[in-house]
Amino acid sequence: MKRYIPKAGFSYFRNFAFLAIVLTYCLPEATFAQGDGARFYWKGLMGTNAIPVIYNSMGGNANPFDPSQKVIPGSNFSASMSMAGYAKMLPIFKRSAMISVLVPMGRINGEASLNGLDFSSTSRGFGDPMVQFTINLIGPKPIMNIPDMIRYKPGFSVDLIGSLAVPLGTYDNTSPINIGQNRWYGRVGLPVVWQIGSWVPGKRTTFEFVPAVWLLSDNTDFVGKTMSTEPMYQIEGHLTRDFMERVWGSFDVISYSGGKATIDGQEGTALNNLGMGGTLGYHMNDNMQLTLSYLATINDSKPEDLKMDGFRVTLLFGWHPLVEGMKRLKGE
Amino acid sequence: MKKNLLITVVMLSFVQVLYGQSSSSQSEKKRPNIVIILADDMGYSDMGMFGSEIKTPNMDALAANGVRFTNFYTHASCSPSRSMMLSGVDTHLNGLGNMDEWTAPNQVGLDGYEGHLNTKVTTIPLLLKDAGYHTYMVGKWHLGKSPELIPAARGFERDFTLLDGMGSYWDMTNMTALVPKSLYTEDGKYLTELPKNFYATETYTDKLINFIDEGKGDGKPFFAYVSHQAPHDPYHLPTEWRDRHVGEYDFGWDMQRLQRLKKQKELGILPESANLAERMWFVPEYSVLAPAARAVVGRKMELYAGLMENLDFHIGRLVDHLKKIGEYENTIFILFGDNGAEGNDLGEMIAGQPGSLNSLFFASKWSNNHINAWGEPGSYVGYGPGWAQVSMTPFSQYKGWLGEGGIRNALIVSGPINKREKGSINHGLMSIADIMPTLLEVAGTSYPKSYNGNALPPMIGKSWTKVLAGEAESPRTTQDYIAWELFGNRALRQGEWKLRWEFTPLGISDWELFNVAADPAERKDLADANPEKLKEMLGLWDDYVKKNNVVLPSRSPFEGLYDQLPARFPVDYGYPPLINKRQYTPPTELMNTPKEKKN
Repeated sequence: MKRYIPKAGFSYFRNFAFLAIVLTYCLPEATFAQGDGARFYWKGLMGTNAIPVIYNSMGGNANPFDPSQKVIPGSNFSASMSMAGYAKMLPIFKRSAMISVLVPMGRINGEASLNGLDFSSTSRGFGDPMVQFTINLIGPKPIMNIPDMIRYKPGFSVDLIGSLAVPLGTYDNTSPINIGQNRWYGRVGLPVVWQIGSWVPGKRTTFEFVPAVWLLSDNTDFVGKTMSTEPMYQIEGHLTRDFMERVWGSFDVISYSGGKATIDGQEGTALNNLGMGGTLGYHMNDNMQLTLSYLATINDSKPEDLKMDGFRVTLLFGWHPLVEGMKRLKGE
Repeated sequence: MKKNLLITVVMLSFVQVLYGQSSSSQSEKKRPNIVIILADDMGYSDMGMFGSEIKTPNMDALAANGVRFTNFYTHASCSPSRSMMLSGVDTHLNGLGNMDEWTAPNQVGLDGYEGHLNTKVTTIPLLLKDAGYHTYMVGKWHLGKSPELIPAARGFERDFTLLDGMGSYWDMTNMTALVPKSLYTEDGKYLTELPKNFYATETYTDKLINFIDEGKGDGKPFFAYVSHQAPHDPYHLPTEWRDRHVGEYDFGWDMQRLQRLKKQKELGILPESANLAERMWFVPEYSVLAPAARAVVGRKMELYAGLMENLDFHIGRLVDHLKKIGEYENTIFILFGDNGAEGNDLGEMIAGQPGSLNSLFFASKWSNNHINAWGEPGSYVGYGPGWAQVSMTPFSQYKGWLGEGGIRNALIVSGPINKREKGSINHGLMSIADIMPTLLEVAGTSYPKSYNGNALPPMIGKSWTKVLAGEAESPRTTQDYIAWELFGNRALRQGEWKLRWEFTPLGISDWELFNVAADPAERKDLADANPEKLKEMLGLWDDYVKKNNVVLPSRSPFEGLYDQLPARFPVDYGYPPLINKRQYTPPTELMNTPKEKKN
C-alpha cells in the first residue's frame, strides 16, 4: 500500500521509454531491393530523435544502389554498404510526421557485360543522400506526451511519404557500376499499418503494406550515354508479430514492376519481380534496437529476371529528452 | 423436520388468507419472484442513481421503479456479508466469525469460526424451497467448497457457481500457488472445465435465464441469487468495454469525489451538510501527479467503469428477459454491493514477496500486465485506495475496514413488495441480515426454531416489509443496534451514533465515537466530548459480544500496518505549497529583456 502510487506512477516509465524508441524505427533505409522493412512506419513520441546505422550485404544481377534495379544479364554484383542517418518525429498540422535523411556509403564490386563490353569494376565512397518526409493521413493523433504514448494504438493508419535523393554521391561516368546515380530520383507512397488484435508488447501483430511509385530523372552521362527510366511501382508487404516483449519477426514480401530503362533509345525490359524474406528484431534496451533481415527474389530463373538477395543488419539508436530525463531521475 | 413442515403449511395458509384466495381459486395470485443481485465490491456511489458518472441505466431503472436506501449496512468483507444475508445470523455464529483466509490461531476450531457457512444455520434458499419456491444461484459463493457446503447442499436447486472468493473472469485461473485453479459447480457437480466462450458476467446471466426458463412450466415462483463476480478485481472485461472512458479520469480522484458528492446532494442521497471524508493520507493529491502517472492510474478507473457498465448491461439482459416472459411485474429485485469498494492491492498482498511461491505463480499466471493488456486473461489490475474512496464517496476507508466506506452500501429494492413512491429514497437503518426475515415474510414462511433437528441461532435482522409498505421509516427502533467485528476491528451503530475501534493507523487502536447522521464522513471523533454516550455504546458492545459469541482474533491482517504505511498526518489540500504553487507571472508592464552591455 505504501508503494501504491510510486508503483502506479513510475514503474511504467521504463516501458514508456522502451516504447518511445521502439516506435522510432521509421527511417528510410534506402536499400531499394529490400524495401523499407517491417515496422518501418510505426509512430513514436513526437520529438524523438533517432540515428540508424545499417549494414547491407547484397548480390545479384543488378546494381543494388540503382533504384531502377536495371538487370544486366550475366552480371554479378556484390555490394557491401553502410548507411547512417538521422530522423526526427514532429507533429505537423496536428498529424504525426517525420523528417529524415540517410546517407549511404560503402563499396560495390561488379562484373558486367554491357553492349558487348565487359566491365569489372569496383566503386566506393558515398551514395546519394536521401531526404524523406512522412505525414500521417489516417490514424491516431500524434503521440505528443507520455499519456498519448500509453494510449497509442495504431489501429488502421495511412501515411503519405515523399522521398527525394540528391545526386551528390560518388559517380564515375566511365563505369556502369556506381554508388551515386547521377540523377534525381524519389518516390511517393501510401504506407499502411493495420493493427491485428490487441496492442500489447509481446503480442502485437500487424499487417503492413506500402504501395509506392518511384520517379527517376535521366542520367545523362551513363557511360557516355543517356539512361531514362520509366516510373517504377513498388508494393511491399509485411506480416509482423511479437514473439516476446522485446523480440519480433516478420514475413516480408516485395514486388517491383515497371521501371523500364532506355539507354540512348535502346529499350530494356520492365521489371516484374517478387522477393520474399524475413526479419527478426530485438529491442536491446530502452535506446537501441537491432534487426536482421534477409530477402531474396523468387521466380528468377531467366537471365533477364532480377536475381538478387541480401542481408541487412540495422542498429537503431533513439532518444527523447523527456524519457532520458526520467531515466536520469531514476539514476539509470 | 415435521415441525418445520407444519409451520410452513400453516404460514402458507396464512398467506393465502391474507391474499384472500384459496389454493383452488382460478384467480390465485402467484407469490412474487425474488431476484437478489449482488455486485461484488461495488461501491456506495458507483450506480448512477447514487451519484456516479458511470453509466448504469439498467440499475438506475430499477431504482426509478423502486426505493433507494441510503443507510444500508453490509459487512466489511465478502464472505461475512454473504453469510449474514443467506443465514440471517451474525457472523460469529454462522461460521464467518473470521474469513477463512485469516482465521486467527485462537479462533481455530471454535464454533462460529469455521471459515465457511456452518451447518448450524439454515439458509434463505432452504426455507424458500420448503415454501414452494424454485431456488437458483449463479456466480460467486465463497462460503465453503466441500460437498455439504456448496450451493446445492444449502438449498439451491440449480446453480452455476464459482466457489472461490475471486479469480479470472475468463477461465479457471485462481490466485495462489497452492490454490491455482478456481472451483466451479453446476447443479451440484464440480466442473472439470468451463463452458466454451466463458465470460463470468455473461455466462452467469445466460445460465440464470436458462434456469428460469426451464423452471417456469410448473408455475412456482423462483428465488434467484445473482452473485456477480463483477466488479471485483482483477478487472477483466471484453475488449469492446475497455475503451469507453479513455482519458475521462485523468483529472483524478479528488475531483471525482467532489463531483459525486455534488450529485449525491442533488439526488437527495446525502443532505446538503454532508462533507467528504479526508482523503487517505497515503494517497497523493491527484493534481501533483505527472500526466503519465495520471493516465496510468486513471486507466484503472476507466476499466472499473467499463466493468460496471458491462455488469449493468447483463443485469439489463436479465430484466429484459423477465419482461419478455411476463415475470418482471411480479419480481422483487434487491440490488446492492457486498461490502465497501476494494482499496487493497490483493496482488501485492498475495505475491508481493519476491522469490516466494506466489510470486512465481503470479509471474506464470498473472503477469500479462502491460497497460494495454489490462482486461485480458492473465492480467491483474485493481484500482487501489484512491479510486476506492471515489467509489465510496463520501465515506472514509474501504473494504475490510469498519469505517462507513467499508460497510455502508447502496441498496435498491423494487417490485411488487414496494408500495412507496417509485424512485423514492429512504434513510432508515437497514442491515444485510434483514434480507432473510424480509424474504421469509414475502414468501409466507417463517424462521423455524430448528432445522433438520438442529436448534437454530436467532436471526438478527428485521423485516423490511413495513418500511416498503410505507408504514415505517426504518425497520429498527432507536434502541436497536447493528454491530460488526472483523479482523479485530469493531463497530456498532445505534440511531445516529457509531462506535468504532480500528487498528492504527486507519483507526487509533481505541474506541472512537461518531455521529454519522451529522458526520457520515467520520471526520470528528466525539468520544472525549460525549463520555456518557461512549459508555452507553460500550455497554451495547458488551451486549453484542455476549450474545453473538465474539472472540477477538489473536492475529489480524492489519497488525503492524502502522509500520507499513507512512506516518499519518492530516490531509490538507494544497499542502505543502512547495509542490503546489504555480509559476508567478509578473505584470506585463514590468517585464523587459536584459540590457545589453555598453561598449
